[in-house]
Amino acid sequence: MKINRGIQTTFMAIAMAGAALSASPALAAGKMTISSPQDPGSWDPIDTFLVQWAAVATNIFDGLTYRGPDLKIVPGLAESWDILDEGKRIRFKLRSGVKFHNGEAFDAAAVKFTFDRLLGEEGAKGPQRSNYTSIAGVDIIDDMTVDMKLKSPDPVLLTKLAGYGAMIVPPKYVQEKGADFFNANPVGTGPFKFTSYTPKIDIKLAANPDYWGGAPKLSELEYRFIAEPSTAVAELQAGRVDLIIPPTIPIGMISVIEGDSKLEVVSVPGPTVDALRFNTKSGLTADPKVRKALIMAVDRATIVKSILAGQASEIASFQGALSFGYDPDMKPLPYDPKAAKALLAEAGVKPGATLQIDIRGNDATMNEVAQAIGSYLQLVGITTTIKPYETNVLLNDIIPQGKTGAMFQQKWGGWTFDYDNTAYSMYHSGEKWNPYDKDPELDKLLESQRPLTDRSERERILKQIAAYAADRALEMPLYNSNAIFGINKRVKGFVAAPDNRLKLTDVTVD
Amino acid sequence: MAGFLIKRLLQAIFVVIAITLVVSFAIRLTGDPAMMMFQGGGSMTEEDLARIRQALGTDRPFLVQYLAFLKGLVTLDLGRSFSGGASVSQLIGDALPATLLLAFISMAVSIALSIPLGIKAATSRGKVADQIIRIFSLVGLSFPNFWLATMLVLLFAITLGWLPPSGMSGVASYVMPAVTMGVILTATNIRLVRTAMLETLQSQYIMVARAKGLSESKVLYKHALRNCAIPLITYFGLQFGGLLGGIVVIERVFNWPGMGTLAFDAVAARDYPVLQATITVLSLLIVGINLLVDIAYGLVDPRIRTE
Repeated sequence: MKINRGIQTTFMAIAMAGAALSASPALAAGKMTISSPQDPGSWDPIDTFLVQWAAVATNIFDGLTYRGPDLKIVPGLAESWDILDEGKRIRFKLRSGVKFHNGEAFDAAAVKFTFDRLLGEEGAKGPQRSNYTSIAGVDIIDDMTVDMKLKSPDPVLLTKLAGYGAMIVPPKYVQEKGADFFNANPVGTGPFKFTSYTPKIDIKLAANPDYWGGAPKLSELEYRFIAEPSTAVAELQAGRVDLIIPPTIPIGMISVIEGDSKLEVVSVPGPTVDALRFNTKSGLTADPKVRKALIMAVDRATIVKSILAGQASEIASFQGALSFGYDPDMKPLPYDPKAAKALLAEAGVKPGATLQIDIRGNDATMNEVAQAIGSYLQLVGITTTIKPYETNVLLNDIIPQGKTGAMFQQKWGGWTFDYDNTAYSMYHSGEKWNPYDKDPELDKLLESQRPLTDRSERERILKQIAAYAADRALEMPLYNSNAIFGINKRVKGFVAAPDNRLKLTDVTVD
Repeated sequence: MAGFLIKRLLQAIFVVIAITLVVSFAIRLTGDPAMMMFQGGGSMTEEDLARIRQALGTDRPFLVQYLAFLKGLVTLDLGRSFSGGASVSQLIGDALPATLLLAFISMAVSIALSIPLGIKAATSRGKVADQIIRIFSLVGLSFPNFWLATMLVLLFAITLGWLPPSGMSGVASYVMPAVTMGVILTATNIRLVRTAMLETLQSQYIMVARAKGLSESKVLYKHALRNCAIPLITYFGLQFGGLLGGIVVIERVFNWPGMGTLAFDAVAARDYPVLQATITVLSLLIVGINLLVDIAYGLVDPRIRTE
């Protein structure tokens, strides 16, 4: 007979009632408990883009390449690779002697199976495939060598092979157990083995002593799904959670953690950038002069310093400093209300003109930022209304349908840290996130860098794109937010990863 | 009684169908689950969206999707979650006991506290005991439940370390969520019991009962309480419905793996199958409780049975 979890727990609880009224931390040595804000629902690599998936799965699975917190691409399950045929074929030499957690051997067939699955019928049901469409197929050369053929050169592919949909899965296990079972019982080659998963509650992993990169120092990992920030912080303070991963902790709660001598906040620049984009098609902001004036009217540096409390950096283009294509020499337009006023007058904008800023209603920081921006704009004679939307409505309807106000919040950040991902989606004509702008010259620039394998040439064009977008003032660039981790000081050896893909092999808990 | 029950049952079915229709329709107006899957994932093409919609079945006309859902309800196969593909029946099977247990315990705590306190307040009307109970109730009413929850966590979980701050992991973990819900319910219920009692105590049959020389407790609990039971049962029944709604906030604060958490996540991810199923189950519960309230009327008041 199957008893439901709730009832079962209660019976057990009542049985132990005498001892149960104490909640002393029950952490065994070598176990680490991590609070994650969301349960992705499936652990199959092809099913999700959620960073909360990657935070766990980086410990279960490996890719052909690996990218750690320093964002450098190094060998993973492939020991080496050669780029052939002008970037249209990559030959991977595979690591030998590696076994999946179920004992299956890792070999060329596993690599072929993984990508056939991702690009085939199974992958078609999930979102990850869209990231790997440049791959035409995988050929097995011998047991430990594969050729990956590409439809066209893809300069970001080696990065993409280090995460998400490209994680290598065990062919026999997946075929025998089926996709549904694999969703809830993942098996990979990573440093930790899956032990149990209770939807909406937790997933537990145990050390894989045979890991090819050396056995992890911890014996157990538990990820608990806690959505509410104050609850996660309470668990951290109570010592029942060792680490809170982003995006959980809002800026306003940092002081709570810093006020506790057992805890600390670790933060690193993350992939997420915020900007207020303009309706460049109609209304006030169709005029580039007006757009420039609006940018110059707002003191962005002060906003970042005071509202973001140092947990963000000002940006000049729609990317952070870690992004490939970032130009350290590029400066944002200066804060100059006088010049802004002059520009507005020149454009024929009368004092008292109004515009609307659309933002995500649940983004507390942006609510404050938008209000500050409204006050700055008031000083140059523009009256603003702030319209908060439920995030999904803003993303799924208002922006793609071109129903925004003159300015709208766009939060963006891809784990690949490549400006192409942002720029193409934001600026190329006809893209879902670009409802207003059509610029053939910009389209051409964007398309020209996509197939380039020459890194420096591609970087040069990406910088050019950023400068071009800034010159046309396509958005008011705001800030690049830090990824904020809350951690108990008894955790040693923790390195915060900008992309939240934490491989916890070298971490210990005292 | 049978005719009355059948009429009520038909009404209940109609209500549940209406609710599911509105919920299924409304959730589809506010977002596309296929687009949700690409959040943070960069560029997607119309073709990518189309193949995901096909895989999820959201490319079919609304009526087809809704009828498929109704069919699933009848055959007890509620489909699979859009986020991850877990069985919806399994998710609800796990979440429902957690929510119901919490709701029943809160309700029980509240009834056990509010009836004696309410009667005490009524019998000592205007005296010190009455004043104290009324002040307690006013303070309880004025607490927003999430604030009370936060304060309890601060005191008992962080400062004293007696109770776990969140999660469902044994008797200790029930204390704070149940107390939070219970205190707020008790505050309202005391006032209700007090008012109902005051009214009843002025009735002539109470005077008669006292004149007969019955003991005070017999007068209060046998005669007075039974006579004011009808409004109380109605109110407690309605309150249980409200309780299931209010539990969403409490579940979130205490990270309780119940129906509220399930529904909350489903809304955020536009997980149609999970959302439709949770709302349907919750509305079935509320409708069912109202039905029980009607039946209970008959039990406490024979006049209604014959009507």
